[in-house]
Amino acid sequence: MLKQGILITSEFAEYHPIVNLCYFLLAVGITMFTLNPIFLSVSVVCAYIYSVLLGGMPALKFNIATMFVVGIIMTFINGFFSHNGATVLFYLNDNRITKEAFIYGLVSSIMLTTVIVWFSCFNRIMNSEKLVYIFGKFAPVIGLTLSMIFRFVPLLKTRYAEIHQGQQSMVGNQKMSIRDKISLRLKEVSILISWSLESSIETADSMAARGYGLRGRTSFTIFKFSRRDSVLLVLMVIFGGITIFGFSQGVGQMYFYPLIDVGKVTPLLMVSVVSYFLLLLLPILLDVWGTRKWK
Amino acid sequence: MEMIKLKNLSFSYPETEKKALNNINFTVDRSEFVVICGKSGCGKTTLLRHLKKNLTPYGTVSGEVLYKGIDIIELNDRQSVTEIGFVMQNPDNQLVTDKVWHELAFGLESLGLTNAQIRRRVAEMASFFDIQTWFMKNVTDLSGGQKQLLNLASIMVMQPKVLVLDEPTSQLDPIAASDFIKTLNRINRDLGTTIIISEHRLEELFPIADRVVVMDAGSIIADDKPKKVAKSLTEKEHPMFFGLPSVIKIYSEVEKHGDWKADCPLNVREGRLWLEEKLGEPKNEEYTDEILPFKESLNEDIKESFRERIFNKNIAKRKVKEPIIETKEIWFKYDKTADYVLKGLNLEVEKGELFALLGGNGVGKTTTIKSITGIVKPQRGSVKINGTFSTLPQNPQALFTEITVEEELLAAFNGITITTEEMIKQIDEMLELMEISHLRELHPYDLSGGEQQRLALSKILLRKPEILLLDEPTKGLDPFFKISLAKILKDLTENGITILMVSHDIEFCAEYADMCALIFDGSIVCTEEPKEFFNGNSFYTTTANRIGRAYFPEAVTWGEVASCVKATI
Repeated sequence: MLKQGILITSEFAEYHPIVNLCYFLLAVGITMFTLNPIFLSVSVVCAYIYSVLLGGMPALKFNIATMFVVGIIMTFINGFFSHNGATVLFYLNDNRITKEAFIYGLVSSIMLTTVIVWFSCFNRIMNSEKLVYIFGKFAPVIGLTLSMIFRFVPLLKTRYAEIHQGQQSMVGNQKMSIRDKISLRLKEVSILISWSLESSIETADSMAARGYGLRGRTSFTIFKFSRRDSVLLVLMVIFGGITIFGFSQGVGQMYFYPLIDVGKVTPLLMVSVVSYFLLLLLPILLDVWGTRKWK
Repeated sequence: MEMIKLKNLSFSYPETEKKALNNINFTVDRSEFVVICGKSGCGKTTLLRHLKKNLTPYGTVSGEVLYKGIDIIELNDRQSVTEIGFVMQNPDNQLVTDKVWHELAFGLESLGLTNAQIRRRVAEMASFFDIQTWFMKNVTDLSGGQKQLLNLASIMVMQPKVLVLDEPTSQLDPIAASDFIKTLNRINRDLGTTIIISEHRLEELFPIADRVVVMDAGSIIADDKPKKVAKSLTEKEHPMFFGLPSVIKIYSEVEKHGDWKADCPLNVREGRLWLEEKLGEPKNEEYTDEILPFKESLNEDIKESFRERIFNKNIAKRKVKEPIIETKEIWFKYDKTADYVLKGLNLEVEKGELFALLGGNGVGKTTTIKSITGIVKPQRGSVKINGTFSTLPQNPQALFTEITVEEELLAAFNGITITTEEMIKQIDEMLELMEISHLRELHPYDLSGGEQQRLALSKILLRKPEILLLDEPTKGLDPFFKISLAKILKDLTENGITILMVSHDIEFCAEYADMCALIFDGSIVCTEEPKEFFNGNSFYTTTANRIGRAYFPEAVTWGEVASCVKATI
């Protein structure tokens, strides 16, 4: 199960795009605004579990690789370039190198990689259809344009392959100099452009023939907002709301300079952490349950 | 009731003297099925584009185009969009969005229907066209035939009264084309939609058309019931005769000077009945059992037709004196996890022959060409090719780099050192040979599909390859140029050039190929001369053979059948 991930049996992916979007907005939004170790560790754990659940081993490899690269770069850059902080480790060219600066770099790198991991989950759950829907909801023109782009990109790819093969085969097994080969490549790109421009005239005709440009265009969707969507959405809003309320009361704050101060563990902090954890856990539980159904 | 009426319509493109349309008069009644035919570039597309408001070409117009008595130009936008549907030639270019369902909904979205209304209409059309199974797919994953059906369906959701189609099947393989035409017939019969279609492939359209309009150089030269048009074309000895269905050609060849009855046969069944009337009870009883053309899947038909040859391993190998292309046991698959496309393919092509590779869809025909040319590398086996070669790709546009036809041909000499005079001489000869001298100043993209095909072939031939590989060379060509193409290919083989072509065009291969080979399930099942190859196949054979087989099983082309009938009478 974990080798390739469970994306195809993902229950959460079957939910309405608005619900999907809402989840990722809350997950990413809250992570981005906190450097508090408790919140961050909840987010890290859930992000890793969910991405591995969806993407399998390849996702885990990707996560660890980004964590190391981003982590090392950010820790060292911040450590060597920021001279705030009270605990001096050593001096470099008369500059203070402090423990706090290193830790700040490390924590913010963890925050950043967690956001990246959340985005990788977002990418897996939100297919092109859902993106078109979401954008179409706010601005129908953008939704349609996006849909046309998703159509056009693979078309360009196949066309280029066709052109390349065509040129290649015209030449056959006759010898060519390197200069000729380069000019051939350039020509192939130029054919691609003129071919695409030419064919887009026909696409425009086809759009006009089907009434594009008439007043009062609607946008059709195959997504239906059902009862289970509203239930999940309400749960997310409640958990998210509690967490955000906690934040507004200052629970997620922490200070790195001049000395590291994590803040006090108050009941409100505990409540917001727990509700944030539950929020993040919702799709994970749904997906595990969804996979078990097929056993 | 008159749906469409053209009154004295003339039209010329800007900056040209010649009239693209010359005093056209014709009317189309409600629920009529009208076929417009004629040579490439005779004005069919120009005429059809005048029937749709937003697609009318730019130029000088005189005369009127009326839809239900109202001038098309003055038609209300909304009415024009819904009531007149237009399907174009290229399946790919007409698709706008990335999903099948979105494409179907596109027109209805423009009209501003609500979600519930769109859902209902789309569902209705999806089941009429039987596309529920690929409803959620990306359009890129569809085959050419499916794409064109989708284009048709996404027009039909708007419930048009008139459907105009401009050579809709020219880019499709014969099976997909036949499916498409059957669907059109169903639309006409079940929904009563008026259909106006321009097409080169008349074999299947003639029997179902109510009326046939023949165009030549911008004018209408015949406009009547199919049988009458057939008669008048034969009497006039018009070149368009060669575009007629085989059964009519056989009939008219036999009856040219005899008594031409009002009802000439239009399909295989009528053709057989006519022969029976003419020649009496057939002698070869084994061939008389009722047979149907193409079943659900071509691959099944082929398997049925070639059953003996597929399962009999002891077929004698043909002797090849001077093999110019030789593949030994090539195995190939596109992906680690995929199935093998080629499974131990052995192929030998003799020097100077026109070798045709036939077979159903997805049996590895194009892959064979690709592995011969080295575009794909077989995992096992060897490929030997003795000489320089060039390939004509399926899509001629893939070859064009320049802004005029002349320069396009000049570009073919890249890397070849000869004098300018010699180049010009060769180009002139080539333009003459391909019958495109009058187009030399035009941009390659402004040519029609058939003309582009000819230009692409010229460009390749100028490189003087010793071996020519053609992938579906007859796709989108009008029947007259097919004959010229056959002559060109014959001349080439006589000069020692070897031609290997992959084709779906049974009639063309039967008539002109020196050798036919069948690919089935990734290997070559048999290699025979066309006569033996098609003889006795129940499904996978020419229409002429299906008509005359009970009397002359060895006659494969319409000419052969006709001369056999004449000799017998």
